[in-house]
Order: sequence, then C-alpha cells, then structure tokens
Amino acid sequence: MFLAWNEMKSAKLRFLLIIGVLTLMTYLVFLLSGLANGLAEMNREAVDQWKADAIVLTDESDMNLSQSSMTLHEAQRISAEHKAEIAQILAVARKSGTKIKESVAITGIHKDQFLMPNVSEGRSFRGDHEVIADDSLKADGLKLGDRLTISSSEQKLVIVGFTKKAKFNAAPVLYTTIATVQKIKYGKTDTSDKGIINGVVIRDPYFTKIKVPSSFKLTPIEPFIEHMPGYTPQKISLDFMIYFLFVIVSVTIGIFLYVLTIQKVSIFGVMKAQGISSLFLIRSVIAQTFLLALFGVCAGFILTAVTGAFLPSAVPIQLDIPALIGYGAIFIFVAALGSLFSVQTIVKIDPVQAIGG
Amino acid sequence: MSILNIQNASKTYGSGHTQVTALKTTQFSAEKGELIAVIGPSGSGKSTFLTIAGGLQNPTNGSVLINGQEVTKLGERKRSMIRLKEVGFILQASNLVPYLSVDNQFRLLDKVKKGNMNQQEKAQLLKQLGIENLTKKYPADLSGGEKQRVAIAKALYTNPSLILADEPTASLDSNRAFEVIKMLAQETKEKNKATIMVTHDNRLTKYCDKVYTIVDGGLSLVSDNLQIRP
Repeated sequence: MFLAWNEMKSAKLRFLLIIGVLTLMTYLVFLLSGLANGLAEMNREAVDQWKADAIVLTDESDMNLSQSSMTLHEAQRISAEHKAEIAQILAVARKSGTKIKESVAITGIHKDQFLMPNVSEGRSFRGDHEVIADDSLKADGLKLGDRLTISSSEQKLVIVGFTKKAKFNAAPVLYTTIATVQKIKYGKTDTSDKGIINGVVIRDPYFTKIKVPSSFKLTPIEPFIEHMPGYTPQKISLDFMIYFLFVIVSVTIGIFLYVLTIQKVSIFGVMKAQGISSLFLIRSVIAQTFLLALFGVCAGFILTAVTGAFLPSAVPIQLDIPALIGYGAIFIFVAALGSLFSVQTIVKIDPVQAIGG
Repeated sequence: MSILNIQNASKTYGSGHTQVTALKTTQFSAEKGELIAVIGPSGSGKSTFLTIAGGLQNPTNGSVLINGQEVTKLGERKRSMIRLKEVGFILQASNLVPYLSVDNQFRLLDKVKKGNMNQQEKAQLLKQLGIENLTKKYPADLSGGEKQRVAIAKALYTNPSLILADEPTASLDSNRAFEVIKMLAQETKEKNKATIMVTHDNRLTKYCDKVYTIVDGGLSLVSDNLQIRP
C-alpha cells in the first residue's frame, strides 16, 4: 500500500486517467444494471403487487395468461384457500375525444379477493365499466374521470381511481370487474358457472400440495413471470452485457497495470537486488489496483446517483442500491484479478540484469 | 569468521565453443573491519564478481558464504532475505525508487526490514553525507552526486554486515569522494562490517585495507595494507 499510494501521488495525471476510465466503466455497469432492473420491473411490478405464490392456467396456454381460458365453474373447483379469479385482455385504450392512445392490460378481478389493488387516488370501481388505472398513465395525460374507448369494442370505460406500480408485461393495468372484461372480450357478460375467465391466482406457500385437473397447470409465480413475452431474453441480454463489461474491466486494468509494471522493471529489479521480496512488490501492485478500482467505483457511484436524480420518468432505469453495492464489489474484485497479469512479470525480473551485472 | 567467504567459485556462460568465462576460479574472503577495493577495467568481470559476492547470482562452481550462511545452497527467496539482512548495495545505476521522496526511501526499508538505524543514527548519517536538507525531495530533483549520497545512506541505513559498492564515487567531486570513502572506512571499522568496492579510481586505494585487481575474470591481490602497516 505504501509504494502504491506514493506512486499514485507522484504521477497524479497518469493514475487519474486510469481512474477516469474505471469511473466511466462503473457508470456504464451501474446504469445497465439500473436499466435491467427497471425493465424487469416494468414487466413484473403488477404481479409483484399481487404477492402471489402460484397461478393456475390451462396447460394449452403455455403459461400465457391471456391465452388461457377456463370457466368459472372449473375455477371454483380448484381447492385452494387463498385464491383469486382473474380475467385479462390486452387492448389499446384511447382517451375519448383525443388522440392519446395507450396499450393496456385490462384485468378483471373480484373486489373482495386479494388481487384488489390499493387505491392511491380516487376510489375503487363500484360497478362495471369503472376502472382503477396504473398511475403511470397520468404521465400520458390521463386523469380521474377520463373516458376511455377500447379498440375493437364498443365498450367505454371510465377512470375512477389510480393505483401505484401496476404494469403487467410493460402494459399499464386497468383493474375492473370480471364482467367488464368479458363484455369487451366476448361482447356480453356471463357470470354464471359457464362464464369464461383466464386463470386463478393462488396465495399459499404450500401450493405444491394443491391438486389441479390434468388439463390445467399449476405454475409457481417466478417461472410465470420469466415466461412473459420478452422478459427473459431482455434480462439475459442485459445481464450478458454487464458480465461482459466485467471481463472488459478486468482486461483493461490488467493491460494498464501490465504496462506500468513493464516500465518499472528496472526499479523493481533494483529493489529485488536489495532483497525486497517479489511478494511485497506483487502486493503493492494489487493494492494499487484495489485503490484505483475503489476510487473509480466511488466516482462512478456518485455520477450514477446524480444521473438518477435527473432522470425523466419515461426512462426505465431503477437504481437498486444494494445491487449497485454488489456490482461495485464485483467490479473491484475483477479489477484486482486483472492485476494478476503482472505477477508473472514481477516474479521473472532478474535483479542481476536490472543492475547491469 | 569471515563476513564473506568465496571458495573455488567460477562463473561461465554458455557451453562448448561459445563458452565464456566471466570469473575464473576464485578464492576470496573479507573479514570484519576490512575495506577492500577491486580495481579493473570494464568488462573484466567486476560486476560478475560483485553479484556473486552479494548472492544475486550463483557461481557455476564453488560456494559463497555470507556471515557463515552458504548462499549458494539456498533458493531465491532465502537468498533474497539474506541480501535484505546482511548486504547493503551501493549501485552505479542509482538504486533510488523514482516515486519516493528521500525520506520515504528510508521508510520503504522500514516496511520490509527490522533492525534499521534509529532516528538519531539516521540523522547523523544524513548529516555526514550532507543530505539532511534533501529529505522531502524526489530523486528527479537531486543532482547526480546527491543521488549517489542518498544511495549510500540507503545502503548503510539497514545496518548490513557486508557493503558492496559499485563505483560509489563515480559522480562525486574529489573532496566529496574522499569524504565518502573516509566515511565508508570509518563505518567499516567502527561497526565491524566488511566493505568491498569496485572502482577504477586509484586515488581511493590508500584508504583501503586490501586492493585487488581483476583482469579477464582473474582476481589477484596487489597490495595488503594491513600487512604493511605496523
């Protein structure tokens, strides 16, 4: 640490440049992780709000909620204590009399079951055609009392309330009655046993014990989310970019320190001639990498925090502090790994040559 | 016991037709309190002799004992520890770390080794060498002579029993050169060290106890002041 720190103090520009590169890389890693986080959130936040453990869909639907359909009678026969029936249709809603259009997931629920969201503004729906909307729609110019025209349907809906964090597969959710969804989907409501819904959401940690008919499939909630269109490919792509950045960081700092080490071969040789061990020199190189990476990560963190404060809400970046700390730690670790390129060079330095013997 | 004892040591490079003898079979010893000069032209094997004497490289044949420890039988790590503990190098190429201030050069030695000079001894050493006001400076800000004196101070600072100096007075003016040699002689006598310096400056030999010449790898004793003196 002594050698590392003193060298950095005496060659400030050189080391500031390296810290600069590391800062930008940290910044990129942090923003990408924020983006991965934000995009994942867009897909799953409504489902996370349900606090559910599993979902029953038809086997045919391949875990796709809107492709699954079952009768209310079938749904009622599923023997779970905490269950909630759900109907959903993906549609485009237009604010009546304007050109404001938005893809939405109109989701039918029972008011008395656990899928009922907390209303953050306005009131709950009292009857059919009234909806509680995801409050991200407010940014698009929708407000309480607005009438919505639904594509491919005569049905008009009216916003009576807003709820927070209600996006399903990136589409804002409109919560309403099951009858309303049926009306939009099939043109008529049918609340009898033969009425069609999409699935049953289950809140029970021991859901594996629940028996369902063979044409149905009980899916734990996490695979259900991972199966949403685009969710997993998106996540894998972004995660891959982050992991690849770590490799780049390791190689980049490895090259920097390798070049610096090559420059110092003769002085390291003299030190070895004096009896200073290779281990001491290696430790100082690793310590230097650690310091550089630490400064880089801290600066990157500050930069990210500043960016986060000024980010418009349309950008789906969500910074998760514990995750950033985790990534920062990995960053420092892989940087230190990169410095190991120089170890062999230091070990091989022959003090006899260094002093011109 | 001799501080340095070289027995039947020789050094050859290459093999067959291309074999070069850098050091012919050599017997050499340095006792406590001896200041020894080795004089020779460049390419004569001075550096090979010095690096073998200091345990930096092993001879092809023979053995080297520093303070009774046979360094030729040891691995690089152990030899490195012996160099740190027993040997002080004063090298021709300045052995200062460019990014450490003079004061930090000594602190570095404190980091890697115990039993160095205390503050008082160090202050006295720096004063003797006339570098007590340079402690905050970096090697790049020092003149050649100042660097050389710092290098000498650094070699003495670790209290080695054997001092190996390669042209220690090369970049010093005559007065300063004599002062440095006198100081080395005094240090050698007072603290019972052995000092071997490789030089081509004949004027300095009068301060030495023994003078050797080295020509084409062959070392021979030319004067032994210890025996001449009463």
